[in-house]
Amino acid sequence: MSETILKAQDLHKRFDKVHAVQGVSFDIRQGEIFSLLGPNGAGKTTTISMLSCLLTPTKGDAQIDGYSVRTQADKVKQVIGVVPQEISLYPDLSARENLAFWGRMYGMGGAQLKERIEAVLDIVGLSQRAKEKVETYSGGMKRRINIAVGLLHQPKILFMDEPTVGIDPQSRRRILDTVLELNKKGLTVLYTTHYMEEAAELSHRIGIIDHGKLIALGTQEELTRTVGEYDTLHISVDGSKTDPGALVEPIGKIKGVHRASLEDSSFIIQAEDANTVLAGIIAQLDKAGARVLNLRVDEPNLEAVFLHLTGRALRD
Amino acid sequence: MKVLRIAWKDTLTRFRDRKALIGLLAAPLIISALIGLAFGNINFGGSEPPLSHIPIILVNEDDGQLGQVYEDVLTSDALADLLDVTKMDDLQAARIQIEQGEARAVVHIPTGFSNQIIPASTGASVGQASIKIFTDPTSTVAPVIVKSIIEQISAGINTVNLAAEISAQQAMEYAGILGPELARLAEILPEELSQENFDFETQKLSLNKSQVGEVQQDINAFAYFVPGMAVYFLMFSMFGGARSILDEESRGTLPRLMTTPTPISEIILGKMGGTFLTGVLQFTILMLASRYIFQLSWGNSLLGLAMIVLLTVFAASGLGALLTSFTRNQLQANVVGMTVSLVFGALGGSFFSTQNLTGALDFASRLTINRWAMDGLTKLTISGAGFNEVLTEAAVLGVIGLVTYALAIPAFQRRFVK
Repeated sequence: MSETILKAQDLHKRFDKVHAVQGVSFDIRQGEIFSLLGPNGAGKTTTISMLSCLLTPTKGDAQIDGYSVRTQADKVKQVIGVVPQEISLYPDLSARENLAFWGRMYGMGGAQLKERIEAVLDIVGLSQRAKEKVETYSGGMKRRINIAVGLLHQPKILFMDEPTVGIDPQSRRRILDTVLELNKKGLTVLYTTHYMEEAAELSHRIGIIDHGKLIALGTQEELTRTVGEYDTLHISVDGSKTDPGALVEPIGKIKGVHRASLEDSSFIIQAEDANTVLAGIIAQLDKAGARVLNLRVDEPNLEAVFLHLTGRALRD
Repeated sequence: MKVLRIAWKDTLTRFRDRKALIGLLAAPLIISALIGLAFGNINFGGSEPPLSHIPIILVNEDDGQLGQVYEDVLTSDALADLLDVTKMDDLQAARIQIEQGEARAVVHIPTGFSNQIIPASTGASVGQASIKIFTDPTSTVAPVIVKSIIEQISAGINTVNLAAEISAQQAMEYAGILGPELARLAEILPEELSQENFDFETQKLSLNKSQVGEVQQDINAFAYFVPGMAVYFLMFSMFGGARSILDEESRGTLPRLMTTPTPISEIILGKMGGTFLTGVLQFTILMLASRYIFQLSWGNSLLGLAMIVLLTVFAASGLGALLTSFTRNQLQANVVGMTVSLVFGALGGSFFSTQNLTGALDFASRLTINRWAMDGLTKLTISGAGFNEVLTEAAVLGVIGLVTYALAIPAFQRRFVK
């Protein structure tokens, strides 16, 4: 995982008054799963569209396998596979007919095409239903054929634009497993999502994008480190028999607690390790007669990173 | 090659869409059939053997030479296999024969018919002469044949200066419909007419036709409305076909196509090609269906018919592409397509004959694809014209197609390349 297969440099895209992508730069190494994580409207799809040669950058360029998306689009299109966010298939055609059509659009034909169709149907687990019209498929099955189309011509890098939107958890799990499996076999993947869990599970590296700008880039560990390494405990108490405010100071003095505060009847406590301080905090509350109503521990995560960087939740 | 792949994919998906098939094929056939039933000249399966020994009754009350011409032609050996002519004197009795199913038609040549045509030596003015044909309302093909024969004879008489040529030409054009016997009219008419001494430049014959028990009807309504409906619904499907490129854009398949190593020009040409192919298949199926289900003749010039059909589809798909390329979205394209189809149908002769249009209406009619298509088709199917006689209509349709495509393709390219 060392050679760079994709290098985006200062990509900009402007639509009239909207500056949808503003100077995005990153690179993707061969064999890597790289995720662009951001809320809806952040510029993920516009970025992937420029890399797919669907949109011409207003400024900047990207090299994919050494070819420029600006000047060598035909070469770029041969090495990329694209899985769009929409189910971009023909519902009146069967899965096999869809795959045959799209394969021919990549210049494939004959025995090679037949062989690849069977291979990708096997990858997405739909060989048995390949003769059925796509319109009869469930949402998850359509998504899987949508992915299969992107794999047909054995691209060097696969662009997947929010491939799990609007499907059930089981289908989502299957797609994530497929992505991991493909990556194990050496496929490089550029994955966009607004689901923090997907980016966290799949990605070797993550770029966080918001308002058209790449605001953070690194491994999950590197990103979470930017917001500190503290666990956050949220403890709600029944304050009818005691004054919770009086307990903030003693809790803050417990060894391992970094900071304690009270919002309404809930304590927000930052600690280096929630497990080691939890017993002391409970004992303190019990001693004061404050009954615990609810308790939650948040480990450092991408959601916190996004919150830290933008002041907004990821799903806003 | 990719152009053909895209075109074929579009055609395949269009014909697999059951809803689309209603507009493509079912609606024009059903509406044409209803019109045919309403006008009583539709044949659903050959309940009668139309092309031989049609029993007709000739009531010739004219004691002049002209009535004799009709009688001689109708009873000639050339038509002996086609017609079984019985002569009667009593018109009422002859009509009863129709009601009883003994005859398919009665041809009535009234008293004084010749005298109204042949100018009197005194120079007295003459009136318009009429022959009446009474037909069996349950009969379909036979009245068409009898009427056509009488028309042939009348046409020959009306245009005596060119009688031999026109008769020969028209007879040959009808031969495919009526059989080879009628083609021999060309030999008979000049002989018959050369013996007469008419002022053919000023005299005209007219033909009245009525069915026993029913009001007078136009015998060629069905032959007119099938092409009319075919062109009308073709316009709808061509607009729909052009609109499919916007459907693909919103569904995401067009952007996906653009991420494959396929030039945008090939994608657009493929989409237009699919629309064109769909139109050709639609029209061909409608022609075959009307030919074999309703026994409708599409004329004798296969080449002329193919030329008019291909160029009609070319022009209609081109116009559809052009208008779609300038619409904002599918909804707008839908509204524009429906409006233009309806207006073109109304002005262009899909619902009624444009032969009597004059002035601004005639000019507006000539701005529509339907008008040129219908002019070409009716020349071929009803008048029995040949390839050369529909070249003007073909040229106009071809120019419309070329201009509209030349404007539409760059417009689509500008629209989709961002």
